[in-house]
Amino acid sequence: MIVGIAFVVLVLIGMPIGFALGLAGVLGLIDMGGGSFLALAPSRMFNGLNIFPFLAMPFFILAGEIMNHTGITHRLVSLAQTLVGHFRGGLAHTNMLASVFFAGLTGAATADAAAFGKTLVPAMVKRGYSRDYACAVTAAGSIIGPTIPPSGLMVVYGSLMGVSIGGLFAAGILPGLLICFVCMVVIAIGVKANNLPEADKRASFREFLTIFKSSILALFMPVIILGGILGGIVTPTEAASIAVAYALFIGVFVYRSISVPDFIGMLIRTARITGVIFVIIAFAAILGWWLSFNRIPQELAQAIVSISDNKYIIIALIIGMLLAVGMVMDITAILILLAPVLVPLTEQVGLNPIHAGIIFVLALNISLMTPPVGACLFVLSSVTGEKLEKIAAKLWPFLIAEVAILFIFAFWEDLALALPRMLGFA
Amino acid sequence: MKNFATKASEKLNWIVERFVALLMLLLVLDVWLGVMDRYIFHWQLPWPEVLARYLMIWAALLAISAGIARREHIGLSILLDRVPKFLRRTCLFSVDIFTFCLFAFLCWYGIDFANGGSSRQAMIFDMTLAMPFAAIPVSAAIAALQVLFVAFRDQGQVMTHTNDEVMQ
Amino acid sequence: GPKVLKFGHDNKMDPFENPAHACTAVFANIVEADTNGSIEVEVYPSNQLGSAKEHVQLVRDNVIQATLTSTGAISSYYPRIDVLNLAFAFDHNAATYDVFDGPFGAALSKDIEETVSGVKVLGFPDTGGFFAVTNSKHAIKNLEDFKGIRVRTMTLPSHQKIIQSLGGEAYPLAWGEVYSGLQTGVIDGQMNPVPTISFAKFAEVQKYMTLTNHLFAPYTFMVSKAFWDDLTADEQRVLNYAANSCVVASRGLSRVIEASDRGLAGLKDKIEVTALSAESRDQFKAAAQPVVLKHIEETLGAEGVALLGIFQKELGNANTRSYLK
Ligand code: NA
Ligand code: NA
Repeated sequence: MIVGIAFVVLVLIGMPIGFALGLAGVLGLIDMGGGSFLALAPSRMFNGLNIFPFLAMPFFILAGEIMNHTGITHRLVSLAQTLVGHFRGGLAHTNMLASVFFAGLTGAATADAAAFGKTLVPAMVKRGYSRDYACAVTAAGSIIGPTIPPSGLMVVYGSLMGVSIGGLFAAGILPGLLICFVCMVVIAIGVKANNLPEADKRASFREFLTIFKSSILALFMPVIILGGILGGIVTPTEAASIAVAYALFIGVFVYRSISVPDFIGMLIRTARITGVIFVIIAFAAILGWWLSFNRIPQELAQAIVSISDNKYIIIALIIGMLLAVGMVMDITAILILLAPVLVPLTEQVGLNPIHAGIIFVLALNISLMTPPVGACLFVLSSVTGEKLEKIAAKLWPFLIAEVAILFIFAFWEDLALALPRMLGFA
Repeated sequence: MKNFATKASEKLNWIVERFVALLMLLLVLDVWLGVMDRYIFHWQLPWPEVLARYLMIWAALLAISAGIARREHIGLSILLDRVPKFLRRTCLFSVDIFTFCLFAFLCWYGIDFANGGSSRQAMIFDMTLAMPFAAIPVSAAIAALQVLFVAFRDQGQVMTHTNDEVMQ
Repeated sequence: GPKVLKFGHDNKMDPFENPAHACTAVFANIVEADTNGSIEVEVYPSNQLGSAKEHVQLVRDNVIQATLTSTGAISSYYPRIDVLNLAFAFDHNAATYDVFDGPFGAALSKDIEETVSGVKVLGFPDTGGFFAVTNSKHAIKNLEDFKGIRVRTMTLPSHQKIIQSLGGEAYPLAWGEVYSGLQTGVIDGQMNPVPTISFAKFAEVQKYMTLTNHLFAPYTFMVSKAFWDDLTADEQRVLNYAANSCVVASRGLSRVIEASDRGLAGLKDKIEVTALSAESRDQFKAAAQPVVLKHIEETLGAEGVALLGIFQKELGNANTRSYLK
């Protein structure tokens, strides 16, 4: 109780979420009597990070850094524009579709939000979109990044829960594409309500080909990653190191745009972003231990089971809990704190582990853009200067659409497992 | 005071970031070596997997202080945006002090932890676990120092550093 | 109030599923009943309180009071556990009972207590039996068949050396990547006890399994020394025989699992199983043992060699002794 209150107060007075988790965890250990319990904190931090598959996170971030430096983001946006720019609200559609292309290069939603917040949002505002709407579209699209492989969150989930990461990667492709599709439908429906600008001229096939040619190497990255895994060359974790090698090859030999100081800068930025994520993982490991020792997760699980033993109701309860907690907690922390409790419940009701995994990943990704605590909203708000609650106000139609997709995949196993089965993972 | 803190923060961070870049580079090379060993060299090296974990932990934990220097660890401003300036400054300054306490605590207990590691074998390079475990006290000490510097540099006036490149 | 014994381990919660939880269930039942509730046992399965390695430290610090730790998890605290990696040491399961219940078990537990301060060893429960080797290339029947097979091992020099001495290649790979590594062909094979191979579903991605029986790695059942010293003599006596029953239960359940759908009987339909012929086993033993012996002598020093001496002597007795004679 005191730990929960401490966490909320610390967050409200502006303490970074990660540090608040750490301090709450330490307070928990003190509350248990200090002594040997306090000595646990460093050990839990170290062991919370001492997991080989976590390597995929820095590597995917580094690969994205390198790709971004080559100017590939702009090429991907142009490519999307030649395809959907001619609809009314063309730049909004472009934003969505570019997120799909960008998804193959990035393992984190915040990378998408930052890159597009910096480039596309100003372009949309200039073209006559309201800034809050432009931000909302970017936020809605940003979660496609960690849904379509590669995905840092899937790596964490897979390694903590012992689920095939390759299988999760395969399972993410379809929902990622569908999220893009429904969000484009939402954009189309809201054309009048949001007073979106008129259509641009349609790009010629020749223009499309030129741009396609210049971005094909970037589009090829997810193929390299999945190919490396399926071809038996690398493990899913090592695949991220192949992504780095591929991006470096393109950056140095094809686009010739990376110097040594550039590369050093990328290594530093990668480490910093990794540090921001890892400190949350390390501190959540302390708090998670405190919860387990006090048997709080078991009580939570029992509470859920006591409501119903129907498979669909339990799935819905799990999703509801993830989305609710996702409003006030960082998603990696949720994964570490709640997955060990909730995943066994999905086993109990006979859910395929990859299916359960994709439900978790989708729900948590959506939480990235639910206020008040949403990493993508934070990033967008800080990059564009738009107020968080104004973005949130324009976001809800997209949110509803994405939650609908989540429920479809949660309840329709054959759809959720179609691709993993095809590729031999399930 | 403010000037000194700003300079000290910059200097410390410059060193930390270069070192972290080196660790990241070694990390990439180490994992590549592991892959190539299986297909090309067949040396059957026992250490790339273990070393990768330790390099990753050292790099990521040291980088926490870099994130502090640049105020990249994001918090919630919903309440703080609605309170008087003075109160906001007080809150943010106290948050820095709390953060300092957290890392100072981790450093203190981290030293014991690393000491405990010195009587345990790491299974590679004939080394003990003291070296990998030392990542906790060392990075906590640097983070504590850095948060103290930025506390006096910003004096409650900066919450998150708006830098899109940084977020990337 | 009652003394609370918090017992952490790294296996699943069902006592009929694995020897670890069965062992804790038997132990908890006897302790709670026979002390008339003066000791309460709370079991934390599935690594709820951290990794197996962390459990050892938690017991040393008396944060939890008992754990079952694997040889891999204890090795960083107690490197001499590597003595147990003498390949092809045991001729059959019954020999493992004799060796770990006899003078060697006593010497080993004493050495562990002296080296890893703060713990008291109560026994060596079964983890599920002998190691087998699986692969996707071809059936391994003799040394020739091992040539060039790339086998995943733990990051343990002695395990790598065993595979290499048999002619295979040994690559350490994180546990979480073994299944997909086998599936895609990043590696050809792996080695583990049969129940582990079964629950990790390796048969789905492997074609051949050889019952090499080359290793047996028991749990070490340890309690916190501080907790132990605080018990009355009666309570200590109860814990002692409860631990003995826990060990017996782990052995019984291990044999039952091997014989059930979750063990060898279940695997036979999914994977081609080969048992080593007596000649092949002698060949394997001749190839592997000298290499491991040399490794132990080089890395574990005089104390290691002394412990190894007791191990070999007891092995000689146990392997030749026949039941009820
Ligand atoms: Na992605
Ligand atoms: Na959220």
